[in-house]
Amino acid sequence: MWDMLIINPMVNTLLWIYSVLWQNFGLAIIVFTLLVRLITYPLTAQQMKSAQMMQDMQKSKKWQDIQKKYKDNREKLAQEQMSLYKEMGVSPFGSCLPTLIQFPIIIGLYQAVIRALAVTPIQLLDLSTHIYPFINASALIPLNNRFLWMDLSQPERLFVFGFGVPVLAVFVVITTYFQSKLMTPPTQPGDQGAQMTQAMNLYMPFLMGWLAYSFSSGLALYFLASNVFTILQYAAMGKLQWSNLLPTKKPRAG
Amino acid sequence: MKSHHLVLLITLLISSIALSACAGGAATAASSWPDLTVDEQTAYVSYNQHVYAINLADGTERWRFPLEANNKISFYAAPAITPDGQLLVGGYDHVLYSLNPQTGTENWSFKEANNRYVGSPLVNQAGIFTPTTDEQLYALDYQGNLRWSFATQGAQWAKPATDPDCECIYVPSMNHHLYAINAQNGMQEWKSEDLGGAVVGTPAYAPEGTLYIGTFNSEMLAIDAQTGSIRWRASTDGWIWGGPAFKDGMLYFGDLSGAFYAMQAANGKVVWKIKPDGPITQSPLLTEELIYFTTEVGTLYGVSYNGEIRVNKPIACEPNKACSKLHTSPVSAGDKILVAPTGAEKLLIALDANGEQIWSFAPEKK
Repeated sequence: MWDMLIINPMVNTLLWIYSVLWQNFGLAIIVFTLLVRLITYPLTAQQMKSAQMMQDMQKSKKWQDIQKKYKDNREKLAQEQMSLYKEMGVSPFGSCLPTLIQFPIIIGLYQAVIRALAVTPIQLLDLSTHIYPFINASALIPLNNRFLWMDLSQPERLFVFGFGVPVLAVFVVITTYFQSKLMTPPTQPGDQGAQMTQAMNLYMPFLMGWLAYSFSSGLALYFLASNVFTILQYAAMGKLQWSNLLPTKKPRAG
Repeated sequence: MKSHHLVLLITLLISSIALSACAGGAATAASSWPDLTVDEQTAYVSYNQHVYAINLADGTERWRFPLEANNKISFYAAPAITPDGQLLVGGYDHVLYSLNPQTGTENWSFKEANNRYVGSPLVNQAGIFTPTTDEQLYALDYQGNLRWSFATQGAQWAKPATDPDCECIYVPSMNHHLYAINAQNGMQEWKSEDLGGAVVGTPAYAPEGTLYIGTFNSEMLAIDAQTGSIRWRASTDGWIWGGPAFKDGMLYFGDLSGAFYAMQAANGKVVWKIKPDGPITQSPLLTEELIYFTTEVGTLYGVSYNGEIRVNKPIACEPNKACSKLHTSPVSAGDKILVAPTGAEKLLIALDANGEQIWSFAPEKK
């Protein structure tokens, strides 16, 4: 079911894009990532709208008063919070539901890239059973894995004076860092969720960088393209938090 | 470390492990199927992290290489035996190993390839010719010294073919071309036109000077071995993965649609065609009486030369489980037929001519 609904359409779209883009798999990955971003745009927009409403609610005087009033009664605070959500028309799952829906798409995209690369006999045999009849697979296979200096089926290294430099992994770390920084909304002091987000912003670039360093560069290219398109998408919607990049003054104790 | 940092770190670590599994990064997960070769007393099976030497008499293990599994080394290409008694096997670690077939100890290794060995080396009196996925055919002497290399601009997954009457090596490439190379100096004799699809099976050579080759363009082609020109092409129902077998003016082969063909070598006319129970990824085994082949769904077939199915045996089936897949060609060893299922507990199964099991070999975990 997963293959039929998610992976197969993605693999075949990827192959079709590859066939019309001069059989360049690097370009196909970039365009495919862009296409997926555009298709999932309504979900992204919904997520941003919900996040904004949630943020407005947290800034509201009413919420701050409720927090003060019930600071020693967590149960009552939760009840009042739910009432306020209802009153202001905010769904507590409004921002995470679109993300959850996007998650299988992201995993599927990742698996589609791996499957289409098909660098071993088992992978190629598996690919052969998932290609739609309208794709002229015999002309396309094997896919041209070369893109710029990379072999997209191998981990990427740019050799400079005999040293293999993981350029793509470095860019993945940088863009993941900027993406998470630029997209994190301003937070209220003492917000537990914000602390979690800050921690995520710290670890995520290294995790993504490690994945980009270890796995085939086709995936690293997907990570990079995805980060860049996400930043551009948020920029186009005027939602980037440029202030997050500036050093912040810590509030004085006392 | 604050507790929420710890929770997050653990979550990310679990995610990364999950992603690693998705990417096939798990070192011990097999990424191809086993392949094998035999001498008088031993079957040599390459699969995943070892090459196994198995007694043909009783199916017991004689040795394995390497002794202990190494996550960076795996083997899927059929080993080859040289006239001077070496066992050659290429790994996914980009290394071609020469082993002592008696003991499994390493004689030498060739490390100049930049990518995996998927196809088996061709060995003849002129030396060792080993295809690689780094798009080079390497010609070595029996001591593992490089004599020359030839670039085909496409990965090579198939064992090359040769013509015993000339010093020619025929190298199929996944770039849709077949190359004829002089075995002595590595110079190109000819390069075929675009065959329409990738070639991953070894061509069959017929003594009158024709090569027969199947492609991913769902075609069987006859190619003039002198000039590389196409003599005829015949359509099939699906991609052809395994090379054809040639006997008495006929070609026998299967395709991924599950069809098995008997075709006239002279003109590509199909004499008979049967459709067993699944895709066929390998070359058939021709014996005096029957043609043996396996299907991906795990069945061994024995078919008479007029197309009558005489043997139809599910192989490597465990109770209450689906049968293991079969991708590897059946191999003859005296009166036995050997099959190597993919990913099964039993790595090698010896059968009699009727498909009845004589013994099976399941590697002990060490």
